[in-house]
Amino acid sequence: MVTGSPNGRPWTFYALAAFFTLFVLFLYGPMSAIFILSFQGPNGGLTFPMNGVSFHWFAALVAQQRSGDFVGSFGRSITLAALVLVITVVISIMAGLAFRYRFRGATAVFYMAIASLIMPGLLLGLGVGLMFQFAHVPPAWFSSALGAQLTWTLPFGLLIMFAVFSRFNRAYEEAARDLGASQWQTLWHVVLPILLPGIIGVALFGFTLSYDEFPRTLIPIGSRNTLPLEIWAMTTDVTSPALYALGTLTTAVSFVVIALALTSIALIQRRRARRERDRTDRRDGRTGAAPPAASARAGAGPGGQ
Amino acid sequence: MSKKATGARKMTRRQVLKGAVATAAAMAGSRGLGVPTIWAQNIKDIKLVQAGGSYSAIIDIGRQASKDLGFQVEMQTGAHDALLNRFVTQPNSVDIADMEYFFLYQLVPRGVLHSIDLKKYKWWDKVVPIFTKGEYPDGRKVSREGTLPFKVQYVDGPESIHFAKGPTQWATAIPTVYNADTLGMRPDLVKRSIEHWSELLNPEFKGRSAIVDVPSIGIMDAAMAIESRGEIKYGDKGNMTKEEIDKTTKILIDAKKSGQFRAFWTTFDESVNLMAAGEVVIQSMWSPAVTAVRSRGIPCYYVPLKEGYRAWASCIAPMRHLTGLKLDAAYEYLNWYQSGWQGGFIAKQGYYSSVPETARKFMTEDEWGYWYEGKPAKSDIKDPYGNLMEKAGQKRDGGAFWERMGKVACWNTLMDENRYMIRKWNEFIAA
Amino acid sequence: MRAPQTTPPRLTSAPYLLVAPLALVLVVFFGIPLLLVVIVSFFDLDKFDIIPTFVLTNYSELFGSSLTYALYAKTIKYALIVWAITLVIGFTVSYFLVFHVRNVLWQIALFLLCTVPFWTSNVIRMISWIPFLGRNGLFNQSLMALGLTHRPVEFLLFSDFSVVIAYVHLFSLFMIVPIFNSMARIDRAVIEAAADGGASRFRIITDIVIPLSKTGIALGSIFVIALVMGDFFVVKVMSGGQSASVVAAMSNEIAILQYPPAAANAVCLLVIVTLMVAVIMRVVDVRRELSG
Repeated sequence: MVTGSPNGRPWTFYALAAFFTLFVLFLYGPMSAIFILSFQGPNGGLTFPMNGVSFHWFAALVAQQRSGDFVGSFGRSITLAALVLVITVVISIMAGLAFRYRFRGATAVFYMAIASLIMPGLLLGLGVGLMFQFAHVPPAWFSSALGAQLTWTLPFGLLIMFAVFSRFNRAYEEAARDLGASQWQTLWHVVLPILLPGIIGVALFGFTLSYDEFPRTLIPIGSRNTLPLEIWAMTTDVTSPALYALGTLTTAVSFVVIALALTSIALIQRRRARRERDRTDRRDGRTGAAPPAASARAGAGPGGQ
Repeated sequence: MSKKATGARKMTRRQVLKGAVATAAAMAGSRGLGVPTIWAQNIKDIKLVQAGGSYSAIIDIGRQASKDLGFQVEMQTGAHDALLNRFVTQPNSVDIADMEYFFLYQLVPRGVLHSIDLKKYKWWDKVVPIFTKGEYPDGRKVSREGTLPFKVQYVDGPESIHFAKGPTQWATAIPTVYNADTLGMRPDLVKRSIEHWSELLNPEFKGRSAIVDVPSIGIMDAAMAIESRGEIKYGDKGNMTKEEIDKTTKILIDAKKSGQFRAFWTTFDESVNLMAAGEVVIQSMWSPAVTAVRSRGIPCYYVPLKEGYRAWASCIAPMRHLTGLKLDAAYEYLNWYQSGWQGGFIAKQGYYSSVPETARKFMTEDEWGYWYEGKPAKSDIKDPYGNLMEKAGQKRDGGAFWERMGKVACWNTLMDENRYMIRKWNEFIAA
Repeated sequence: MRAPQTTPPRLTSAPYLLVAPLALVLVVFFGIPLLLVVIVSFFDLDKFDIIPTFVLTNYSELFGSSLTYALYAKTIKYALIVWAITLVIGFTVSYFLVFHVRNVLWQIALFLLCTVPFWTSNVIRMISWIPFLGRNGLFNQSLMALGLTHRPVEFLLFSDFSVVIAYVHLFSLFMIVPIFNSMARIDRAVIEAAADGGASRFRIITDIVIPLSKTGIALGSIFVIALVMGDFFVVKVMSGGQSASVVAAMSNEIAILQYPPAAANAVCLLVIVTLMVAVIMRVVDVRRELSG
């Protein structure tokens, strides 16, 4: 596409494809061991060799025995991650819109977000816990831990919104307003739909960052653990391939969530592409400076993050 | 949350600062907080949250307690350091603190625990005398190096924040599980007998030895090894002077630079994997980790050493904020805890109960013989979940209860020179 | 760049209302804890007690200790190495996906392929390297089977090497995502025009692709540097405890309630990393292209 003959691919394609393949191998290589080992037999350990093949360790996860409260903590982690997702998306979009204006205090808020990203999590959690103790509010995963996690996901959300809004073409908004749309209408019917794939990306990010969060959640968790805390607590005692079964299971869950997100993106894009095509056909000309195809692809999938 | 936020916004900067200073000051000691009491109408509505390490705050114990007592006992597991931080800074987020004895140095002076009235506790005269008197049954004194539980076992009155010198009616906590730790080794790879702690630093095992990366424990294991080599004679390994810390870390840094250590492990899994994979042939280890290695068919020996063991002990205590019915429930729970079910349960994982007499009722004769008396197992020894721990014919490493607990050289602890020790340990790790 | 300059809408209170929720959350959950940390960093510490007073010993001890410099040197070294590697990976992978994968569906699918491992718990992902790199691990066994070495290669695990590997494994996506996003916004017409005009592939990359994806590069750099500088967990596990980082040392202090020195350390870390970000912002102002 960049250069080279119309049919063949340039040598750079093969070089880059090789690089990409190596990278993917690097990502998956060590993890494949986990997937395989999670099917260990009942007497197998955390390392090779395999001692039989079974679903024993998946069953152990649900059995809720010594291996910890995986079921309960998994449920809490998913719920918490969903809460964080919604809050992160809404607040990040709003903040992203705000930063398109010049306003007093913008730099202060920006650097506060940066500092919040950098702040050592253990101390932040400690501070949040103390705050709740003094306000006589019982700390819990859905209050204090949620707040502590937001100091982590919001800076990510905000910065990713910078990338999403970067070089966003104002012509669309201008056009909408020229046609008499109110600010809300412009936002709702023009800006957000164009940014939607990117926003879904922010959502995916917020979800995973929360689902994996450990140091900030550790101290202000209240009396019930999230999954990473439960896993970490278990590492001081029990060792079993149940941990790997959990890894396999979470990967499977991740696949489902990603698949759902992607399907929705694909559907949205197809519908939009059709609408764009209809519109361009009708107008028989190109829209503004940015071709719709480019902007649509820009937000493509998790790439919109 | 939001109320607080808007309140904070209305405050002047000076007020905010003042409030923050007060809050921060409370890290120093949060005494006498006016906490609203929760009165339950019915015992069924009561829920006690016990937070502790995963080896003692076991979900099955909470479930059995709830069944036997008629109120809810919920277990929360956590890493030690996080728990200590929570007990101190958010005492209200927990009902029953489940911890190691040395935590009491931090918790009792801060007044976050309820002093236990021993008149309301029925097993105290049956508790192993290590805890109640600091002695063995034959009257010998137990090593006072480190936090011998007896040193922090009593306070001098109800709600007191001062430790008592001798036994009183008021206990700081009730002892639960404990054990004697030593070095684990791979007999098949070492191929000779190991008798002294000094072997940890023996160049013969260069690149194949390891210690635990918990500063206060790791440094004691190192001290055991160094003392055994005759390089330093410590006044008190559990409370080193700055000079002793300097010398110890210097020896450790030299050993590290010469490549003596393969790793410093943080989690149970790591220690098991290091040993099972043969990365390490001799290291400091927890007892169940040795069993875990062995249950994979890999030989591993928890070797009894001439210098004795480094012991640790856990305990539970109700938090100060409990009142009324909830406090009554807590006492009931403490009495239930030592009535045997829990003791039998944890014995089958290799830990000792502080009231062995009651625990025995929940074990078979063979199990009691294996775990407590050092006798060869007549049949296969299983853990509480039915997994094989040890094959018939095997004997427990180190032998019977008093053979092991009778040879304690020092106890897990926090030192007076903690701050200095942590800095030195960080230097060692960074070296 | 090519977006027409337009006047921002007149509603002046809008940005304040829009940014208020963010500011509120950050003030409450970050501002107050930060304030506490700053105050505690001036407190004194006795044997087991924290004494509310005003002393500078925490800072003087911090700056007076060679350990501090060693820790920062080590952590910054990790940060720079990991930054360089992830930057190369992030740029190359994004470039491949954006300019060489023609089909949008393929693009998404391949991108997805990179993101999936990222969804498995960090703890588990990290642990997975250990059986792989160990002395008797998969990698060493393959090397020996191939006859490339007779003895297991030891530096693979519990070394700086394994720490860096794990960082790259865990954090490279934080670089790929923003760069991919920026690159995808580059108008193909510009590149085609340049190619038609006879610009070499190299010139196109240096003169068009890099300048137009610099926002993504800057954001990715901020993420990766903040993540590495703030880590205590990866370094502890992957070095087998044989290496330390600033936050790992801090966590040892927090573990036994030594809040004042830990707080002083945190304040220092915050200042240093914020300065690092400020330097990045000086090179690329990620906010500039927003108010186009």
